[in-house]
Amino acid sequence: MSHVGVLVVGAPRAAAADLESMLTLLPRELPLPVVVALHRGPHDALVAPLGRRCALPVVEPDDKDDLVPGHVYLAPAGYHLLVDKGCVALSVEPPEHGQRPGLDALFESAADSYGARAAGLLFTGHEDGPAGLGALQARGGRVAIVGEDWEGGEGPEGDVERLSQGTVGAWLSRLVSMPRAKVLP
Amino acid sequence: MSAGTSSAELESIEVDLLLEGVARQWGFDLRSHARPLLLRRLRRHLREERLETFSALQARVLHDGEALEGLLRTLSCTPPSLFSDPAFFRDFRARVVPVLRTWPSVRVWHAGCGTGEDTYALAILLQEEGLWGRCRLYASDSSEGLLADARTGVLPLPTEADARRYTEAGGKGVLTDYYTRDGNWALLQPKLRDGIFFTQHNLATDGSFNEFHVIVCRDTLLTFNRTLHNRVHGRLYESLARFGFLCLGRKESLARTPHAAAYEELDGSGRIFRRVS
Repeated sequence: MSHVGVLVVGAPRAAAADLESMLTLLPRELPLPVVVALHRGPHDALVAPLGRRCALPVVEPDDKDDLVPGHVYLAPAGYHLLVDKGCVALSVEPPEHGQRPGLDALFESAADSYGARAAGLLFTGHEDGPAGLGALQARGGRVAIVGEDWEGGEGPEGDVERLSQGTVGAWLSRLVSMPRAKVLP
Repeated sequence: MSAGTSSAELESIEVDLLLEGVARQWGFDLRSHARPLLLRRLRRHLREERLETFSALQARVLHDGEALEGLLRTLSCTPPSLFSDPAFFRDFRARVVPVLRTWPSVRVWHAGCGTGEDTYALAILLQEEGLWGRCRLYASDSSEGLLADARTGVLPLPTEADARRYTEAGGKGVLTDYYTRDGNWALLQPKLRDGIFFTQHNLATDGSFNEFHVIVCRDTLLTFNRTLHNRVHGRLYESLARFGFLCLGRKESLARTPHAAAYEELDGSGRIFRRVS
């Protein structure tokens, strides 16, 4: 029905390497912004390692920066990263599940401001994330999980797509081929 | 239309009605706050109050000033600890203090002081640098409840992590010198407390109230949407003396604000700007 306007990605710390692999799959001409929350410590330098093999620029945004298609926005240490209709909003609210940046926080904000126009991808392995992904799914967003140890938990298991490292690429290309298919005769 | 979509829309309607009610009844206009932060904080408040819907919260808040104060408290952004960002205090010591030393008197405004942790940290720093005598430190917040807490000069007992951050921030003494312990609480030195003027001021609606040489407003404007954020930056600009310093949060920028060109960012500092025109 509607174009995907944003891709939000959540990953616990243990999935950092998988996240890096996923970012390498993103095509240079990606027509939407990618917003990433990764659990991290206060002094981790992540932008350089994550951006090294990614075709798109990877940045830690300032508050109220615009979301530009073809850019990857990584949550800065010590802040929740939220999205708000075309721009980012940073927050210093208390950590949730012991984490700031938090994954639930990002997914919920995408559900609120983009609804069915958001796509969500969660790397499993932490209690933070499933509830937010569930909220995004409940608003009609397209969601998928990567990893084995998904227990359903608070998120509705229903038709959440389960991906392996090997099938993430195919899911991403289905996601971004949608808008292109619409302009073809 | 799925059930999920309609309940989401209903929640959105209820939130709008709540905000309009608060604005008309109490004059606190929260409609210019950043929507995603506002929604998160409102939902948290709802859970804490054990209420089912925003309509129920609205009914309570419209009739009860204390319920409103509770809501404002949840919505306020409060730094949780002393010296919460040591790098800022270190940079302030290195880059701003030497300039302040050359001025006969210094007016400092801490906007959005919450329960006062960062204000007291700043006061400790100014005292250590020998500037306390010629500084006047004003601290403001929109919530009278938070200010009442701040004025007491009583904080939760600092932890080892607080002491470590104090050292990282360039602390010259020992943090315990600045308070006396009372159970799980710390009573700050009266000398610190009595030198700070705590005053209610709503950045969203109130005008400039003085001209300052230093304005510290860190992570407070995150809660505002872009329009209000830029308007408040206009006020901060008007309230800052030429060659004065504006200290923002680590991930806050002046880039899109109306007076961006009037500031220079200090090299190698977190987000400390100097007004140059």
